[in-house]
Amino acid sequence: MTEKNPDKGYVAILGWSLNAINAVDQFDRRYVVVAPPWAQDYCVQNDIPFVPWDFDRLNERSYELAQQLKEMGVDVAIPIFEETVEWAGAINAVLLDQPRLLGQAMLFRDKSLMKRRAQLGGIRVGVFEEAHDRGDVIRFLKRVNQTLLKLDGDVNDPIHFKAFDKSGTAGHRVIRTPEDVDNIPDDEFPALLESHLDGWEFAVEAWIKNGKIQFLNISEYVTLGYSVFVPATPELEQHRARITEQIEKLIETFEIDFGFIHPEYFLTSDNTLYFGEVAYRPPGFNALELIERAYGFNGYQGLVVAFDPKTTQEELDAFFPTPIKDAKGHAGCFGVYPRRRVVSRLEIPEETANHPYFEFHELADPREQKVAKRSAFGTHWGLAYFFGEDAHQLRDLLKRQEELDYYI
Amino acid sequence: MTSSGTAPEGREISNDSRARIARLSDTLNVAIERLERARPFAKLRFQRAVLDVTARLLQTDDGLDVIREQATRMDAAGIFAGSDWDRPEALLPQLVGGTLVSEDPVFVALEAVSLARFLAVANGEGRHENLHKDMARHFLTQVMALNLKDIFGQSDEASRALGDRQAVKRRLLNYISDHIGLTDVLGVLVTEIWRLLEQRSVQVAVAKDMIAQIAIALNEKGTEPGSERLGAERLVSALFGPTVASLYDPGVEAYLDQISHFDEAALSREAMGFARAMHDTGLVSDYHAAFLVWALDYGDRPLVPEALGLGTTGLDCWRHYRRLIEDLIRTAVTPATPQAAYGLTMLLERGVLHHAPMVPALNRALQQKVQGAARERLMLGFGEAVPPETHLLAGILQVIGQPLGVGQGANPTCQSARAISMWALIEPDFLLHLITQASEFDAVLMQFEGVPINSSDLPAGLAGLGPIDADPVSVLLVSHLDRIYAEMGRLCIGREGDPHRWINPQFHGWWVSRDCAVAVDVATGKLSHYDRFLRRFFATYHPHHNGDRPVSHPQPAGIAVTDPNEHFVGWHAIAILRVSEDQAGVMRVYFYNPNNDSGQDWGGGVVVSTSGNGERYGEGSLEFGQFLSRVYLFHDDPLRSTGAADDVPEEALAPIHAQAVSSWAADRLPEVEG
Repeated sequence: MTEKNPDKGYVAILGWSLNAINAVDQFDRRYVVVAPPWAQDYCVQNDIPFVPWDFDRLNERSYELAQQLKEMGVDVAIPIFEETVEWAGAINAVLLDQPRLLGQAMLFRDKSLMKRRAQLGGIRVGVFEEAHDRGDVIRFLKRVNQTLLKLDGDVNDPIHFKAFDKSGTAGHRVIRTPEDVDNIPDDEFPALLESHLDGWEFAVEAWIKNGKIQFLNISEYVTLGYSVFVPATPELEQHRARITEQIEKLIETFEIDFGFIHPEYFLTSDNTLYFGEVAYRPPGFNALELIERAYGFNGYQGLVVAFDPKTTQEELDAFFPTPIKDAKGHAGCFGVYPRRRVVSRLEIPEETANHPYFEFHELADPREQKVAKRSAFGTHWGLAYFFGEDAHQLRDLLKRQEELDYYI
Repeated sequence: MTSSGTAPEGREISNDSRARIARLSDTLNVAIERLERARPFAKLRFQRAVLDVTARLLQTDDGLDVIREQATRMDAAGIFAGSDWDRPEALLPQLVGGTLVSEDPVFVALEAVSLARFLAVANGEGRHENLHKDMARHFLTQVMALNLKDIFGQSDEASRALGDRQAVKRRLLNYISDHIGLTDVLGVLVTEIWRLLEQRSVQVAVAKDMIAQIAIALNEKGTEPGSERLGAERLVSALFGPTVASLYDPGVEAYLDQISHFDEAALSREAMGFARAMHDTGLVSDYHAAFLVWALDYGDRPLVPEALGLGTTGLDCWRHYRRLIEDLIRTAVTPATPQAAYGLTMLLERGVLHHAPMVPALNRALQQKVQGAARERLMLGFGEAVPPETHLLAGILQVIGQPLGVGQGANPTCQSARAISMWALIEPDFLLHLITQASEFDAVLMQFEGVPINSSDLPAGLAGLGPIDADPVSVLLVSHLDRIYAEMGRLCIGREGDPHRWINPQFHGWWVSRDCAVAVDVATGKLSHYDRFLRRFFATYHPHHNGDRPVSHPQPAGIAVTDPNEHFVGWHAIAILRVSEDQAGVMRVYFYNPNNDSGQDWGGGVVVSTSGNGERYGEGSLEFGQFLSRVYLFHDDPLRSTGAADDVPEEALAPIHAQAVSSWAADRLPEVEG
């Protein structure tokens, strides 16, 4: 464990993430991991400070946990997963004596509330509606397409279906036909329905302190659910000023004083920015790792400085680099999904293996020969990592991966 | 430097490949840095990336330099954390070859980094707290020796099928041999081959193969002169040029042409040269086989006894049964079966031809046709260069000439192999009778306490349809014996105690003692009256406690085999051959182990010796107490009074008891010691 600075804050990490623990253990803040009891033995064996806790639905026991952490001297709780965001809100409300933090967390956890709040704050959003059953979905699909003056028999414009409380691409479905609606499992309701926006989708990672953006990264999606890279291409980065403005609006609307947000946006062909959704936790797809590869700072440690009430502005300024200028290159990753129905082994495509930008992969040999049909986004079999000088070359390379067989 | 450089072997390295390696090297650096930073508990998460890049470096010619340079750093960074490789001092060299052709490139990379780490330590470029420089060198040497054929580009079907994976393995092994030299490797290999040869196994294909590898090594790479080279050359010459005329391995045709002009003295010298090499190694050169057959028709004087290097017993047999012996050579000694010559020699030296049924039984074997499934199995096992009958006859000569050289191959059939060995040793005529039955009728008949058993009526046993990786006699008989043994077991169902008590005398012969002592309670598997068991063994076998009565016939016994860490591996069938003092006055048990290599480390200092302690060819031996500590079943005469057992002093039993309890019996202690 790295020498800890007693003058700095003491943070609680909510949720089990080896990457997060590994990073925070190397940092100078005291920390404790709050995770399900099954992690206990592992933590004891590896000297990881640990408080066992079952994060089920937020319940009255959150106060108990908050008290326990408070007695330990913990200053702030940091959510690692979507499921722990409301817990962090509840705990921080107690630890920091700011009751409104719980309400704020609930906004992040409910996609419908989130969207309405954004709308109220004057942020531009697409057409959306809540769905409680399949009938709602069908209705929305029909209405959206009527609006678009489609006739019976025309191909429908798709709509997006997002389970309320699932993170990232899990539970995100694209619906085109009534058959797609039939395929939605019951447990994904209630959900948010959104019209499809044709445009450039991207995500932002922003570390916030004192209501100000300390570092803003733009992650460019090549194809949603498949690939992402940082920093974005110059074409997208040229909108940075407007994007920053949007994030500031978001901070204001959601009254965010500190922490980390991960919103998604669409840039449509008429150059309008549409807000998709925002999460108050690290993104999936190992985006923090990509940022570390490109900029050299550890995103989880960034979370700690952004959350810790005892962090100084000098420390923040020293910690975060200058966007774009300080990037050593562009880092991207590709989520591999088998393209064939039956696969027997993993074999990195030769053109990938020989490409100078290809770094390494975290793909395993297939355990099952038969490939399950892909139902929603976010079921890739592992990631392949790329790094290189030229953003366009990287983007094209990531796009090209979609046509290659990693599993044969 | 201009656009391209030249590697030491004159291979062109393109700028492309150089750039690729430089790039991979950078990426490796990034991956290692992440691993270095990772906390011990998070190492696993970052190992894969390092190994992935390493695997790609392995595909390039000069990537090995990068791996070697980074090996110590990767080790320190935690590339092996959480795996067996983290303890280099406990790694087994015999597993390396298999891992290097693993389907999963991650394992190949892991093994490659591990070897590179050994190399760094061996060359003094790196250090490891648990790995001494000499240990590292020794380990690599053993790896090289065990994979020599992959260093010299000889490919067979199996390696060809591996394709790229085989190429990576070869490149890596060559790299290591370039960096530590082959002299050590030869030394280890030569020692290993001699150790195996001293056991005089019937099957010598592996030893011959290794010697062929050495011959290529000496020829292609050369080594510094020294004792290793001398030992290696002795082996190579025994196989490829044991005499003056065959010295430069001229080829059989040229050789025969050459000796046809020799005078008697020169021919006699050839004959003696062959004999000397054969008795030295137990191996028969192809030239030797050709010479023997040629000598049959040489009228001026009998060269055969000289070429076989016969002693007094053998010569006596030659004089009595010359016709039979010449027929056996003519039929059994062929380019595909040269070892028959050694088997025949040892058969003659054993004097078994003087046993009345043997001459007619061998004459019968000379004419024996092999029928049905047995024929197909022999062809499957030995090919079709010569008829299966030739292989079988050669096998008969070898098994009867070298009874203790019978091995079970990679088959769970120690009981059958042991039976063949024991019959060959004391009842070769009975063995020939079984061979005739199996060849002619594809069946073997026995009986169990009056119940007739016909092997062809029985379902396949442990060995399925029978082994094909053993000697010809075993290939013919084991499937039958295996089934009969199992059937006898079935007939014992319902009886109390260990069924071997009844099976062994019925299966092997009258000479197996009828009573049986077992160290464990069969129902619970726990030790039962163990001290009593030990005392009985003393009273039965120890010359100082049994009235100095020698073992006349081999006695089957059961051994609890343990590994070098004293962990129980399994029950194993062996035969006790004799108990006597070695040249140092230590009382030893000499025994036959149907396993292919008797020299085994059973842990806790119990290391089976195969030579140097009074062993005859094929015997394994242990000090009496050490041996007894691994025995769990032996036969005893029911008529003998057990009073003698009480004489054995307590002090003699205590260390044996302790050795058993610290190994195979560790979790077999009874609730209350009986």
